[in-house]
Amino acid sequence: MCWPIVLVLVTEVAVTDSYVYVLTALLPLTASILVTQANPYHALVLRGILGAVAALVYTVLGAADVALTEALVGTMLAITLYAVAVRSSLVMRLGVLKEAIPDWRAASKSDDALVALQQADQANAEQPSFAPLLSDLRTVCGKHHLRLELVSYPDSQALQQALVDKEIHAALRVEHKDRYFSESGFEPNSERINLHSESFCSLCIRIRRLYDILQAELTSPAASLTYVDLATSPEVGPVLASVGEQQP
Amino acid sequence: MILNLALIAMILALLIPIYTVCKDQDIWQRMLAFASVASKAAILILVISVLRDDWMIGVVGVIILSVGNAGLMLLAHIIKRMNDLAST
Repeated sequence: MCWPIVLVLVTEVAVTDSYVYVLTALLPLTASILVTQANPYHALVLRGILGAVAALVYTVLGAADVALTEALVGTMLAITLYAVAVRSSLVMRLGVLKEAIPDWRAASKSDDALVALQQADQANAEQPSFAPLLSDLRTVCGKHHLRLELVSYPDSQALQQALVDKEIHAALRVEHKDRYFSESGFEPNSERINLHSESFCSLCIRIRRLYDILQAELTSPAASLTYVDLATSPEVGPVLASVGEQQP
Repeated sequence: MILNLALIAMILALLIPIYTVCKDQDIWQRMLAFASVASKAAILILVISVLRDDWMIGVVGVIILSVGNAGLMLLAHIIKRMNDLAST
Protein backbone atom coordinates (compact mmCIF):
# COMPACT_ATOMS: atom_id res chain seq x y z
CA MET A 1 0.00 0.00 0.00
CA CYS A 2 2.63 2.51 1.03
CA TRP A 3 5.36 1.09 -1.19
CA PRO A 4 4.81 3.63 -4.03
CA ILE A 5 5.16 6.47 -1.54
CA VAL A 6 8.39 5.00 -0.20
CA LEU A 7 9.67 4.53 -3.74
CA VAL A 8 8.84 8.14 -4.64
CA LEU A 9 10.54 9.34 -1.47
CA VAL A 10 13.62 7.26 -2.14
CA THR A 11 13.75 8.47 -5.73
CA GLU A 12 13.45 12.06 -4.62
CA VAL A 13 16.20 11.57 -2.09
CA ALA A 14 18.32 9.88 -4.73
CA VAL A 15 17.79 12.55 -7.36
CA THR A 16 18.84 15.35 -5.11
CA ASP A 17 22.03 15.21 -3.08
CA SER A 18 20.14 14.35 0.09
CA TYR A 19 22.11 11.20 0.91
CA VAL A 20 24.55 13.61 2.53
CA TYR A 21 21.98 14.24 5.26
CA VAL A 22 21.45 10.54 5.81
CA LEU A 23 25.20 10.01 6.16
CA THR A 24 25.54 12.96 8.51
CA ALA A 25 22.80 11.52 10.73
CA LEU A 26 25.01 8.46 11.28
CA LEU A 27 27.55 10.56 13.18
CA PRO A 28 25.35 11.51 16.17
CA LEU A 29 23.88 7.99 16.11
CA THR A 30 27.24 6.25 16.59
CA ALA A 31 28.40 8.95 19.01
CA SER A 32 25.37 8.40 21.23
CA ILE A 33 25.99 4.63 21.19
CA LEU A 34 29.62 5.31 22.14
CA VAL A 35 28.86 7.45 25.20
CA THR A 36 26.48 4.83 26.61
CA GLN A 37 29.16 2.12 26.80
CA ALA A 38 30.34 1.00 30.23
CA ASN A 39 33.09 -1.41 29.23
CA PRO A 40 36.20 0.53 28.11
CA TYR A 41 37.16 -2.07 25.50
CA HIS A 42 33.71 -1.99 23.94
CA ALA A 43 33.95 1.80 23.92
CA LEU A 44 37.27 1.53 22.05
CA VAL A 45 35.68 -0.58 19.33
CA LEU A 46 32.83 1.92 19.11
CA ARG A 47 35.41 4.70 18.84
CA GLY A 48 36.79 2.94 15.76
CA ILE A 49 33.32 2.79 14.21
CA LEU A 50 32.79 6.46 15.03
CA GLY A 51 36.12 7.28 13.37
CA ALA A 52 35.17 5.41 10.21
CA VAL A 53 31.78 7.14 10.02
CA ALA A 54 33.38 10.52 10.73
CA ALA A 55 35.92 10.02 7.94
CA LEU A 56 33.05 9.11 5.61
CA VAL A 57 31.07 12.24 6.55
CA TYR A 58 34.10 14.52 6.20
CA THR A 59 34.80 13.11 2.75
CA VAL A 60 31.21 13.53 1.61
CA LEU A 61 31.21 17.13 2.84
CA GLY A 62 34.33 17.79 0.76
CA ALA A 63 37.06 17.88 3.43
CA ALA A 64 39.31 15.12 2.14
CA ASP A 65 42.32 16.22 4.18
CA VAL A 66 40.33 16.22 7.43
CA ALA A 67 38.99 12.75 6.61
CA LEU A 68 42.51 11.46 6.00
CA THR A 69 43.70 12.88 9.32
CA GLU A 70 40.70 11.39 11.13
CA ALA A 71 41.34 7.97 9.64
CA LEU A 72 45.08 7.93 10.28
CA VAL A 73 45.41 9.72 13.63
CA GLY A 74 41.91 9.76 15.10
CA THR A 75 41.08 6.15 14.42
CA MET A 76 44.30 4.18 14.24
CA LEU A 77 46.71 6.01 16.55
CA ALA A 78 44.16 7.10 19.15
CA ILE A 79 42.67 3.62 19.47
CA THR A 80 46.07 1.99 19.80
CA LEU A 81 47.25 4.45 22.45
CA TYR A 82 43.99 4.22 24.39
CA ALA A 83 44.05 0.43 24.24
CA VAL A 84 47.56 0.39 25.72
CA ALA A 85 46.53 2.92 28.39
CA VAL A 86 43.37 1.04 29.38
CA ARG A 87 45.18 -2.27 29.44
CA SER A 88 47.98 -1.03 31.69
CA SER A 89 45.81 0.99 34.07
CA LEU A 90 42.76 -1.23 34.62
CA VAL A 91 44.67 -3.91 36.50
CA MET A 92 44.80 -5.16 40.08
CA ARG A 93 48.26 -6.42 40.98
CA LEU A 94 48.04 -9.03 43.72
CA GLY A 95 51.23 -10.04 45.54
CA VAL A 96 51.42 -13.66 46.74
CA LEU A 97 54.10 -15.85 48.24
CA LYS A 98 55.77 -18.25 45.85
CA GLU A 99 55.35 -21.19 48.24
CA ALA A 100 51.59 -20.63 48.38
CA ILE A 101 51.28 -21.18 44.65
CA PRO A 102 53.18 -24.38 44.02
CA ASP A 103 52.59 -25.13 40.37
CA TRP A 104 50.73 -22.25 38.84
CA ARG A 105 53.66 -21.11 36.72
CA ALA A 106 54.48 -24.65 35.78
CA ALA A 107 51.06 -25.08 34.20
CA SER A 108 51.44 -25.37 30.47
CA LYS A 109 48.65 -23.01 29.47
CA SER A 110 47.24 -20.02 31.25
CA ASP A 111 43.77 -21.58 31.36
CA ASP A 112 45.17 -24.53 33.27
CA ALA A 113 46.61 -22.43 36.10
CA LEU A 114 43.46 -22.44 38.21
CA VAL A 115 42.93 -26.15 37.56
CA ALA A 116 46.50 -26.82 38.63
CA LEU A 117 45.88 -24.86 41.83
CA GLN A 118 42.77 -26.86 42.62
CA GLN A 119 44.50 -30.14 41.85
CA ALA A 120 47.41 -29.21 44.09
CA ASP A 121 44.90 -28.35 46.79
CA GLN A 122 43.18 -31.70 46.50
CA ALA A 123 46.44 -33.61 46.40
CA ASN A 124 47.78 -31.99 49.54
CA ALA A 125 45.05 -31.05 51.98
CA GLU A 126 47.53 -29.80 54.57
CA GLN A 127 48.83 -27.16 52.18
CA PRO A 128 46.53 -24.11 52.22
CA SER A 129 45.22 -22.84 48.93
CA PHE A 130 43.44 -19.74 47.75
CA ALA A 131 41.98 -21.04 44.50
CA PRO A 132 38.33 -20.36 45.52
CA LEU A 133 39.22 -16.86 46.70
CA LEU A 134 41.11 -16.26 43.49
CA SER A 135 38.13 -17.18 41.36
CA ASP A 136 35.93 -14.93 43.53
CA LEU A 137 38.39 -12.07 43.09
CA ARG A 138 38.42 -12.67 39.37
CA THR A 139 34.63 -12.46 39.26
CA VAL A 140 34.55 -9.19 41.21
CA CYS A 141 37.36 -7.72 39.10
CA GLY A 142 35.64 -8.81 35.90
CA LYS A 143 32.50 -7.01 37.02
CA HIS A 144 34.48 -3.77 37.24
CA HIS A 145 36.45 -4.45 34.02
CA LEU A 146 39.63 -4.94 36.03
CA ARG A 147 42.31 -7.48 35.20
CA LEU A 148 43.80 -9.57 38.02
CA GLU A 149 47.55 -10.01 37.80
CA LEU A 150 49.39 -12.30 40.22
CA VAL A 151 52.91 -11.30 41.26
CA SER A 152 54.85 -13.89 43.24
CA TYR A 153 57.46 -13.06 45.89
CA PRO A 154 59.98 -15.43 47.52
CA ASP A 155 59.33 -14.52 51.18
CA SER A 156 57.05 -12.38 53.34
CA GLN A 157 59.71 -9.69 53.74
CA ALA A 158 59.80 -9.09 49.99
CA LEU A 159 55.99 -9.09 49.93
CA GLN A 160 55.84 -6.37 52.61
CA GLN A 161 58.48 -4.32 50.85
CA ALA A 162 56.58 -4.58 47.54
CA LEU A 163 53.42 -3.31 49.23
CA VAL A 164 55.31 -0.38 50.79
CA ASP A 165 57.03 0.41 47.48
CA LYS A 166 53.62 0.40 45.76
CA GLU A 167 54.65 -2.32 43.33
CA ILE A 168 51.44 -4.20 44.12
CA HIS A 169 47.96 -3.08 45.09
CA ALA A 170 47.25 -5.87 47.52
CA ALA A 171 49.09 -8.67 49.31
CA LEU A 172 47.54 -12.07 49.84
CA ARG A 173 48.56 -14.39 52.66
CA VAL A 174 47.31 -17.89 53.40
CA GLU A 175 47.33 -19.51 56.83
CA HIS A 176 45.51 -22.04 58.98
CA LYS A 177 42.34 -20.88 60.62
CA ASP A 178 43.07 -22.27 64.11
CA ARG A 179 46.41 -20.54 64.18
CA TYR A 180 44.78 -17.20 63.38
CA PHE A 181 42.28 -17.52 66.21
CA SER A 182 44.82 -18.63 68.80
CA GLU A 183 47.10 -15.71 67.90
CA SER A 184 44.26 -13.27 68.15
CA GLY A 185 43.59 -14.36 71.68
CA PHE A 186 40.43 -16.27 70.97
CA GLU A 187 39.83 -19.49 72.81
CA PRO A 188 39.59 -22.22 70.19
CA ASN A 189 36.31 -24.00 70.75
CA SER A 190 35.31 -27.38 69.36
CA GLU A 191 33.74 -25.97 66.20
CA ARG A 192 36.90 -24.14 65.26
CA ILE A 193 39.05 -27.14 65.94
CA ASN A 194 36.91 -29.02 63.44
CA LEU A 195 37.79 -26.39 60.87
CA HIS A 196 41.47 -27.04 61.42
CA SER A 197 42.27 -28.09 57.88
CA GLU A 198 40.59 -25.07 56.27
CA SER A 199 42.90 -22.44 54.91
CA PHE A 200 42.40 -18.83 55.83
CA CYS A 201 43.22 -16.00 53.45
CA SER A 202 44.05 -12.47 54.52
CA LEU A 203 44.10 -9.72 51.94
CA CYS A 204 46.01 -6.51 52.67
CA ILE A 205 44.92 -3.71 50.34
CA ARG A 206 46.51 -0.28 50.06
CA ILE A 207 43.91 1.30 47.70
CA ARG A 208 40.85 2.64 49.49
CA ARG A 209 38.49 2.29 46.50
CA LEU A 210 39.64 -1.26 45.84
CA TYR A 211 39.08 -2.10 49.50
CA ASP A 212 35.55 -0.67 49.41
CA ILE A 213 34.68 -2.63 46.26
CA LEU A 214 36.04 -5.91 47.61
CA GLN A 215 34.48 -5.35 51.03
CA ALA A 216 31.08 -4.89 49.45
CA GLU A 217 31.19 -7.59 46.80
CA LEU A 218 33.61 -10.32 47.84
CA THR A 219 31.49 -13.25 48.97
CA SER A 220 34.23 -15.68 49.95
CA PRO A 221 33.79 -16.53 53.66
CA ALA A 222 37.40 -17.59 54.31
CA ALA A 223 38.95 -14.20 53.58
CA SER A 224 39.63 -11.20 55.78
CA LEU A 225 40.23 -7.80 54.21
CA THR A 226 42.51 -5.19 55.73
CA TYR A 227 43.00 -1.66 54.50
CA VAL A 228 46.50 -0.22 54.88
CA ASP A 229 46.89 3.53 54.54
CA LEU A 230 50.52 4.03 53.51
CA ALA A 231 50.23 7.81 53.82
CA THR A 232 49.45 7.76 57.55
CA SER A 233 51.20 4.54 58.55
CA PRO A 234 54.21 3.94 56.32
CA GLU A 235 55.25 0.96 58.42
CA VAL A 236 53.10 -1.79 57.01
CA GLY A 237 55.16 -4.54 58.60
CA PRO A 238 53.20 -4.96 61.84
CA VAL A 239 49.88 -5.04 59.98
CA LEU A 240 51.06 -7.69 57.57
CA ALA A 241 52.75 -9.68 60.31
CA SER A 242 49.60 -9.69 62.42
CA VAL A 243 47.30 -10.82 59.65
CA GLY A 244 49.67 -13.18 57.91
CA GLU A 245 51.98 -15.11 60.16
CA GLN A 246 54.36 -17.59 58.54
CA GLN A 247 53.33 -21.20 58.40
CA PRO A 248 54.75 -23.41 61.17
CA MET B 1 20.44 7.92 -10.85
CA ILE B 2 21.28 4.21 -10.60
CA LEU B 3 24.46 5.04 -8.70
CA ASN B 4 22.47 7.23 -6.31
CA LEU B 5 20.10 4.36 -5.57
CA ALA B 6 23.08 2.07 -5.03
CA LEU B 7 24.45 4.63 -2.62
CA ILE B 8 21.19 4.67 -0.65
CA ALA B 9 21.27 0.86 -0.51
CA MET B 10 24.84 0.95 0.76
CA ILE B 11 23.90 3.44 3.49
CA LEU B 12 21.10 1.09 4.56
CA ALA B 13 23.61 -1.77 4.59
CA LEU B 14 25.85 0.37 6.79
CA LEU B 15 23.09 0.43 9.40
CA ILE B 16 23.20 -3.37 9.81
CA PRO B 17 26.59 -3.57 11.65
CA ILE B 18 25.68 -0.49 13.70
CA TYR B 19 22.56 -2.34 14.85
CA THR B 20 24.71 -5.39 15.62
CA VAL B 21 26.94 -3.25 17.82
CA CYS B 22 23.90 -2.10 19.82
CA LYS B 23 22.51 -5.60 20.20
CA ASP B 24 25.48 -7.91 20.68
CA GLN B 25 27.57 -7.71 23.84
CA ASP B 26 30.38 -10.02 22.73
CA ILE B 27 33.61 -8.10 22.08
CA TRP B 28 34.53 -10.17 19.02
CA GLN B 29 31.10 -9.61 17.43
CA ARG B 30 31.72 -5.91 17.94
CA MET B 31 35.13 -6.19 16.30
CA LEU B 32 33.50 -7.88 13.33
CA ALA B 33 30.97 -5.04 13.15
CA PHE B 34 33.84 -2.55 13.31
CA ALA B 35 35.58 -4.28 10.41
CA SER B 36 32.34 -4.26 8.47
CA VAL B 37 31.71 -0.55 9.07
CA ALA B 38 35.30 0.39 8.20
CA SER B 39 35.21 -1.50 4.89
CA LYS B 40 31.75 -0.25 3.98
CA ALA B 41 32.70 3.38 4.74
CA ALA B 42 35.76 3.10 2.49
CA ILE B 43 33.76 1.56 -0.36
CA LEU B 44 31.12 4.29 0.08
CA ILE B 45 33.83 6.94 -0.26
CA LEU B 46 35.05 5.27 -3.47
CA VAL B 47 31.52 5.18 -4.91
CA ILE B 48 31.00 8.85 -4.05
CA SER B 49 34.31 9.72 -5.71
CA VAL B 50 33.15 8.00 -8.90
CA LEU B 51 29.76 9.70 -8.60
CA ARG B 52 31.27 13.16 -8.30
CA ASP B 53 34.20 12.42 -10.60
CA ASP B 54 36.56 13.66 -7.90
CA TRP B 55 40.01 12.05 -7.80
CA MET B 56 40.95 13.62 -4.47
CA ILE B 57 38.11 11.83 -2.68
CA GLY B 58 39.04 8.61 -4.47
CA VAL B 59 42.63 8.74 -3.18
CA VAL B 60 41.36 9.33 0.37
CA GLY B 61 39.03 6.36 0.01
CA VAL B 62 41.84 4.09 -1.10
CA ILE B 63 44.06 5.17 1.79
CA ILE B 64 41.27 4.70 4.35
CA LEU B 65 40.48 1.28 2.86
CA SER B 66 44.06 0.14 3.25
CA VAL B 67 44.86 1.76 6.61
CA GLY B 68 41.61 0.96 8.43
CA ASN B 69 42.46 -2.72 8.59
CA ALA B 70 45.84 -2.03 10.18
CA GLY B 71 44.26 -0.24 13.13
CA LEU B 72 41.72 -3.04 13.43
CA MET B 73 44.46 -5.64 13.58
CA LEU B 74 46.35 -3.75 16.31
CA LEU B 75 43.21 -3.44 18.42
CA ALA B 76 42.34 -7.11 17.93
CA HIS B 77 45.83 -8.15 18.98
CA ILE B 78 45.68 -6.11 22.20
CA ILE B 79 42.22 -7.46 23.08
CA LYS B 80 43.41 -11.01 22.46
CA ARG B 81 46.44 -10.45 24.71
CA MET B 82 44.14 -9.08 27.40
CA ASN B 83 41.93 -12.16 27.22
CA ASP B 84 45.00 -14.41 27.52
CA LEU B 85 46.25 -12.54 30.57
CA ALA B 86 42.84 -12.34 32.21
CA SER B 87 42.62 -16.11 32.38
CA THR B 88 45.99 -16.64 34.09
